Amino acid sequence: MPLIRKPPPAGAQTGPAAPDSAAVFEALARGTDDERWAAARAAADVPGIVPALEDALEREQKPVVREALFSALARIASPQSIEAVVPFLRSDDALVRTEATDALLAAKEAAWPYFAALLRDPSVDVRILACGLARDMPSDVAVKLYCDVLESEPDVNVCAAAVEVLAEIGETAALPALERCATRFSDTPFLVFSIQMAIDRVRSQASGSRA
Amino acid sequence: MTNDAPKRVLVVDDASLVRLYYRTALESAGFEVVEALNGLEALEHLLGGHFDLVIVDVNMPQMDGISFLQTLRAKSLPVSSIPAMVISSEAAPKRVAAASAAGANFYSVKPLRAEAIVQYASLLCGARHG
Amino acid sequence: MIFTEPKRYYVERRVTERMTATGASSFELYFARLRADLQGEIEQFVNAFTINETYFYREEHQLACLTSELLAARLNAKPRGAPIRIWSVPCSTGEEPYSIAIWLLENWPYVDEHDIEIVGSDIDTGAIALARGGVYGKRALSRLSPQVVDRYFTAVDAESWQIVSDLRDSVRFTRVNIVERAETQPHGQFDVIFCRNVLIYFDDLSRRTAAENLFENLLPGGFICLGHTESMSRISPLFEVARFADAIVYQRPSR
Repeated sequence: MPLIRKPPPAGAQTGPAAPDSAAVFEALARGTDDERWAAARAAADVPGIVPALEDALEREQKPVVREALFSALARIASPQSIEAVVPFLRSDDALVRTEATDALLAAKEAAWPYFAALLRDPSVDVRILACGLARDMPSDVAVKLYCDVLESEPDVNVCAAAVEVLAEIGETAALPALERCATRFSDTPFLVFSIQMAIDRVRSQASGSRA
Repeated sequence: MTNDAPKRVLVVDDASLVRLYYRTALESAGFEVVEALNGLEALEHLLGGHFDLVIVDVNMPQMDGISFLQTLRAKSLPVSSIPAMVISSEAAPKRVAAASAAGANFYSVKPLRAEAIVQYASLLCGARHG
Repeated sequence: MIFTEPKRYYVERRVTERMTATGASSFELYFARLRADLQGEIEQFVNAFTINETYFYREEHQLACLTSELLAARLNAKPRGAPIRIWSVPCSTGEEPYSIAIWLLENWPYVDEHDIEIVGSDIDTGAIALARGGVYGKRALSRLSPQVVDRYFTAVDAESWQIVSDLRDSVRFTRVNIVERAETQPHGQFDVIFCRNVLIYFDDLSRRTAAENLFENLLPGGFICLGHTESMSRISPLFEVARFADAIVYQRPSR
């Protein structure tokens, strides 16, 4: 029979040894592609690794390795590691912006304290990205954050991003702010349309839950 | 496929309300619309079906619009040369240049009016006068 | 539904799940709840038994893709004589890895020219034990032709069939939690991984970790198959899309 059953490789039950911290630092800074990948994957367990991960991210050209570097920061989930991710939202490389956004989403609660400030960032592009980040927060907190955006945000696309998440969350508490925003941007058909769709969704979810 | 067959547009954006807005505008004008929520899902559709145009956002989870265009254009398949319009909230010249370098045929800044979407889509699908 | 002896473990698992879900501290209390149909428990009970059923030759189009496209692509990329390694994870009670084995023996013209190693892994040690036993009921075999059942199974009783011992001995079963790199990495690198209907249940961070682990367990150019309603577009950016006539699969980039 051509099907063969190999015994497990020697030492298979033990798995990779606990990371040698010095080796991880070394590999992050000077390793081959495979060594940097392996180091990034082991990094979350190495104390004091965050600055080295930041440095590695600044230099890293390979998306696969960057993904593992961001994963390490998301897994560490300390204020220091989140603060290391946030600046990459401003990258000129769209893929890096995506990687940073996905890492902040994966970090969950650890990243939440940063969103209010990001929603008031001087850069429109950053404020738009920030709108995508608060969707998993407790709904009352998220609704308040997004309604604040709808009341005072000058940029129509930031408002649209907030409307998208409010439609998802579906809380009726958002209705007044949605309606006021539609009045504020009555000359922008896309936003008027979006807000109407969001209001419809909020209302239908509300009536659904009363059943 | 005859010349009368409706043109098929793949709309790629992570915001469901943006996709709905484009779908509403394009379907009213006789286009067929398929949606994808990021570049990876867009590639899955493009590799398996016939499309006349792809409209794509830039910032999306997992795979952004620029990476999507680079990946698409790098394949040596007929679908690699499909017309692609980027519609993004980003207006800075370097963002437009990045999209162009990645293989966008057209770049427009959100928010777009429905009439403009239809007009650009018709042009990019090879509209003829009369 | 008819429950035969091999299903006993399956039944016990499902009842335990419903007891946990309803906070019933004893079977008597749970049974009372079921009889009273409290909060629609009858429907919940039925659902628990009918979702996620597994059987042989499930998602046959992916098996077809394996023999029509994936193996040829892998052989082109590998040194001569290197074994083909296929991983079924999670393998549950073994239907999937045994299906792969039977499918290859039945459908791949080159099956005798290559060494093929099939590994099945699951987090559930009870499921693994059943997989090693290789006993299945009528429902699990319902997609297999009588000739295939004849060739690869022996009847245990009127309702149960067991995989022939040669085949049972050829598949290695292990316990693994795909989120734990220490557990996945020792399995080595595979040509094809079947990872169906599990990644979508994880939270973002666990899903990332599992995807990274599976990436590591793929040879460059190796393929990973998800459930037919799943997409990497909601899971991970690490893999490339590879669309074939029979299936969409994902690929670790070649060097």
